[in-house]
Amino acid sequence: MTMATSEPLRTAEPKLLRSFRLAAWLGWQIESNWADPFLFAVYSIIKPLSSAAILVVMYSIITQADFQAPIFAYIYLGNAFYIYVGQVMTGISWAVIDDREHYKTLKYVYLAPIDYPAYLLGRGVARFLIGSFSVGITILFGVLFLNLRIDLAEVNWPLFLFSLLVGVFMLAMMGLLLAGVLLLLAHHMWGLGEAVAGALYLFTGAIFPLEVLPSFLRPVGYILPVTYWLELVRRSLVGQVAQAFPTLAGYTNLQLVGILLALTAVMSVLAVVVFRWCEGRARERGLIDVVTNY
Amino acid sequence: MEFAIKTENLGRIYKIRGGKKEDPKELVALSGVDLQVGRGELFGLLGPNGAGKTTLIKILTTLLAPTSGRAWVAGFDVTERVNEVRQRINMVSGGESSGYGLLTVRENLWMFAQFYGLSSAEANRRIKALLKVVGLDDRINTKSSDLSTGLRQKMNIVRGFLTDPDVLFLDEPTLSLDVGASRDVRRFVREWVDQDPTRTLLLTTHYMVEAEELCDRVAIINKGRVLACDTPANLKHRLQKDVIYRMEVSPLNSLGTAPFEALPGVRKVVHRPQDGFSVLELILEKDDALSSVVATLTSADKHILNLQKREPTLEDVFVDLVGYSMEEVEQAEAPEASQ
Amino acid sequence: MKRGTSLQTPEWPVSLLKPQKPGQRVRKASGWRLFLKTVLARAYPRIIGQQREKSWMFFDVFLPLLSVAAYVYIYRAIKAPAEYVGFVVIGGAMTAFWLNVLWSMSSQLYWEKEQGNLALYIIAPNSMMAILLGMALGGLVATTLRALVITVIGSWLFQVPYAISSFIQLFLVFTLALVALYGMGMMSASFFLLLSREAWHWANLAQEPIYLLSGFYFPIKSFSFWIAAGASIIPLTLGLDAMRQLIFPSGAALGFLSVEVEIGALLLMSVLFLLGARALLAYMEKLAIQEGRLTESRR
Repeated sequence: MTMATSEPLRTAEPKLLRSFRLAAWLGWQIESNWADPFLFAVYSIIKPLSSAAILVVMYSIITQADFQAPIFAYIYLGNAFYIYVGQVMTGISWAVIDDREHYKTLKYVYLAPIDYPAYLLGRGVARFLIGSFSVGITILFGVLFLNLRIDLAEVNWPLFLFSLLVGVFMLAMMGLLLAGVLLLLAHHMWGLGEAVAGALYLFTGAIFPLEVLPSFLRPVGYILPVTYWLELVRRSLVGQVAQAFPTLAGYTNLQLVGILLALTAVMSVLAVVVFRWCEGRARERGLIDVVTNY
Repeated sequence: MEFAIKTENLGRIYKIRGGKKEDPKELVALSGVDLQVGRGELFGLLGPNGAGKTTLIKILTTLLAPTSGRAWVAGFDVTERVNEVRQRINMVSGGESSGYGLLTVRENLWMFAQFYGLSSAEANRRIKALLKVVGLDDRINTKSSDLSTGLRQKMNIVRGFLTDPDVLFLDEPTLSLDVGASRDVRRFVREWVDQDPTRTLLLTTHYMVEAEELCDRVAIINKGRVLACDTPANLKHRLQKDVIYRMEVSPLNSLGTAPFEALPGVRKVVHRPQDGFSVLELILEKDDALSSVVATLTSADKHILNLQKREPTLEDVFVDLVGYSMEEVEQAEAPEASQ
Repeated sequence: MKRGTSLQTPEWPVSLLKPQKPGQRVRKASGWRLFLKTVLARAYPRIIGQQREKSWMFFDVFLPLLSVAAYVYIYRAIKAPAEYVGFVVIGGAMTAFWLNVLWSMSSQLYWEKEQGNLALYIIAPNSMMAILLGMALGGLVATTLRALVITVIGSWLFQVPYAISSFIQLFLVFTLALVALYGMGMMSASFFLLLSREAWHWANLAQEPIYLLSGFYFPIKSFSFWIAAGASIIPLTLGLDAMRQLIFPSGAALGFLSVEVEIGALLLMSVLFLLGARALLAYMEKLAIQEGRLTESRR
C-alpha cells in the first residue's frame, strides 16, 4: 500500500513574494486605526515634531537661533531620517510579540505554508509608510518655519532614492535580527526595537558629528551601516553642507555607497543567520506559542 | 431564620451601546429576583452561562447597582451600607488572574490580606493552612506568573477564604480546575461552612453535580429569573411522579424531537447528538408512554442501542422547568452570553 | 439539610481554620490602620517585586543614560556652556518619574481592570484612595532609586559641577514636586480608566510633547512667559526649574520664577491634585457601579 499524498495548492506567485504581500496587507489592516485623525496627529505629527522641537529649542538657546549654520541642517535632517530606524526596526520585531501574545496567531502563521522571515518583513511595511509621513512632515516643518534649506533642484535625486532604498532594506534586516531575538524573549521586552533604536541614536552621528564622541566610542559608529546611510541621505539632500563635517568628509559619495552596500550585505547575512538560529532555539524550547504576558 | 442574603424584586438592566447612530439597547440581566439565604447555608445558583448568576453576585458584592429592587448582605443594604457589607464579604471568580505575576504566592495572598486589615502574623498562619488545604503549599514561594491556570485558581480560592468572611461568594470556582482539584475544593467548601454555623457561602455553577452534591439549597436561574429554589432533594421530588429514561439510538438526524414530544404521556425530550449515535433523555408521565416512543423510532427506521431507567437529577429538573437542557440554552444564547 | 461527607486525612489542615467558638472572626484592623496597611501592601509589589525583573537595569537605567548622553553631546557639538550638561543629566533623571507616572500610575487602573484586580480592590473594605496612594508610594520609591542611579552615573561620566545653595529648599522642591506629580498621576488614573483603550494613546501623546514643554533638557525661561506658565501645570516643570536654580551656579539666572514662588505653586498643586484624585476616584467608582462596565475586562 502506498501512502496517499496530495498535491499542494500551487499558485503562480512565488512563496516569498506571497508571504510578503499578505503580511504587508495584514500589517496595514492592523495599523489601520491610523485613519483616525486623532491617532494620526499623535503619532505622525505631534510626537515626531515634539522630538524635533526639543532639539530646535536646545539649538536656538545656545546659538541664538542661528538656523543658517550647517550644523543645524545636520542635526535636523539626521533626526528626521532617524525616525525610520525606530519605525522599521520596531515594526518588524514587534510583529513577533503582537502575533504571539496579543492575537495569539503566531503558531498558525508559523504553521502556514509561507516564508516566515518574508512575512515579518511584510509586517514592517505599514510602519515604514507611517514613518514616511512623519519624516515628510518633520522636514516640511523645518523648511517652512526653521529656514531649513533644501533646494529641490540641487538635490541629488538618484543618490537620495538609492540610499533610501538600501537604507530601508538594511533597517528591515536589523529588524529581522531583533525579531529573532524577541522569539526567545518574554513579553515585557516588547520595547526592544525602540530601545535599540534609542541606543544607536548616540553612535550613528544622527544628531552630532562622531568627533564629539570620546575616541573610544567612535568605532561603534564606524561599524554601523546606519552612520553611512544618514551621511548619504544628508549629502544627497543638502550637498556641501553635510560635507562640512570632518567625520566622513574624506570619502566620495561612491565610496560611501560601497561601504553602505557592503555593511548592508554583512548585516543581511548576520540577520538571516541569527534569525534562523533563534527560530531553531525557540522551536526547541517550545516558545513559538508561549504567552508570557502577566 | 436569620438571613445572610436577602433580595426583594431585584432587577438589573444593562444599556448596551451599539454603533454611533444606534440607540442603546437594553438587556435584562436580572428581573424580579426574590431570594433568601439563611446564615450557615451553602447556597447554590444554578443556571446556564448568561443566566444572570454573575450579575446577581456583582450586585450582592457591591460591584454593581441594581436598577430595581433591594438586596441585603449580612444584614446591610448593598447600595446604602456599602462599607459594612464589604467588611464582611469576599469573592472568588473562576478564571480570574488577580494579583501580580512578579510576587510569590505568599506575597500576593499577604497583600490581599492587608487590604482587609489582617495582621501579618495571622495572614501568614492562615496562608500556610489554606495553601495546604488546596495542595499548593509546596509552591508558596513560586512567582504567581509561573503557576499554571489551575494552580492560579487555587491561589484565588485561598484568597477568598483568607480574610475569614461572614459571607463568601464563589463564582464558578472550579472552572479551570481538574477533576481531583475540583473534588478537593468542594470538600473544603463544605467543611468550611459546616465548621461554623455563622458562615454562609453562595456558589454559582453550571455544573449540576457540583450543585447537587454540595449545596443545602439551590436556586435555578435562567434568563435573569429564578425559576425554582429549594433543596436538591425537594427539587428532584417535583419529578417523583415522572419516569426518566436515557436511550441511545441510531442517529436521529433530521427527525428531531418533535414527533416524540407530540406523543401522549411524554413530558420532555432532550436530544444530544453523539459521535455515531444519538442520546434521548425522556421525561415520561408513566412507563406506558415508552412503548409509543419505541414505536415511533421503529417506524422511522431507528434502532435502540441502549435503554436505561434512572433517578431524576437536577439536570432533569432544569429541563422540566426550562424546556431545554442547559447545554441547549447555552448554545442558543452563545453570541450574547456575556453577563 | 444535606451535609457533605467528611474525608479527613491527617494532612487535612482545615481544622486550623475552625474558630474557637461559632461566630468568632479573625481580628481585622479598620480606620487609619487599615488605610496605612493598604498603602504599604499596595506599594510592596512596586518596591520589592519590581526589582526582581532584572531588565530594569537595562530599560530604566542604561537606556535613559544613553539618551542623556545623546543630549549632552548635542550641547557639546554646539558648544554650549558646561552647566547645560548638568541640566540634561538632572532632566534625564527626572524623565524616569514622568514615565513612571504616565505608564505606571495614569494607566494603572486600566491595567488593574484588565487583570481583574480592580473589582477585588473595590469590594475590599479599604479605601481606593489608599490603593492609589500605595501605587504612588511604591512607584515613587522604586523610581527614586532609578533616578538616583542615573544622576550619579551621569554626573560622574560628564563631570557635572554642582553648587547647592539651599539644602532645605532643595528637599522641599523635590518632595513637593513629586507629591504634586504623583497626585496628578492618581487623578489621571481614574480619567484614563474612563478613556479605556484610548488611554494608551494619551499616555503616548504625553511623552515627547511634555519633554519639550516641561523643559527636561533646557530651561523653560527660553519660552515666552505664557507658554512656560501653561507648561507649569505639569509639576515637574516648576520642580525642575527650581531644582536647577538651587543646584547649579548659573541656575538662578536662568530660572523662570523665583524658587519661593515655585515652592508655593507646587504646594498648591499638591493639595489640588490630591483632592482632585479623591473626587475623580469617587466618580469613577460610582460610574463603575452604576454602569457595571468599568470593572469588566474586555479584550
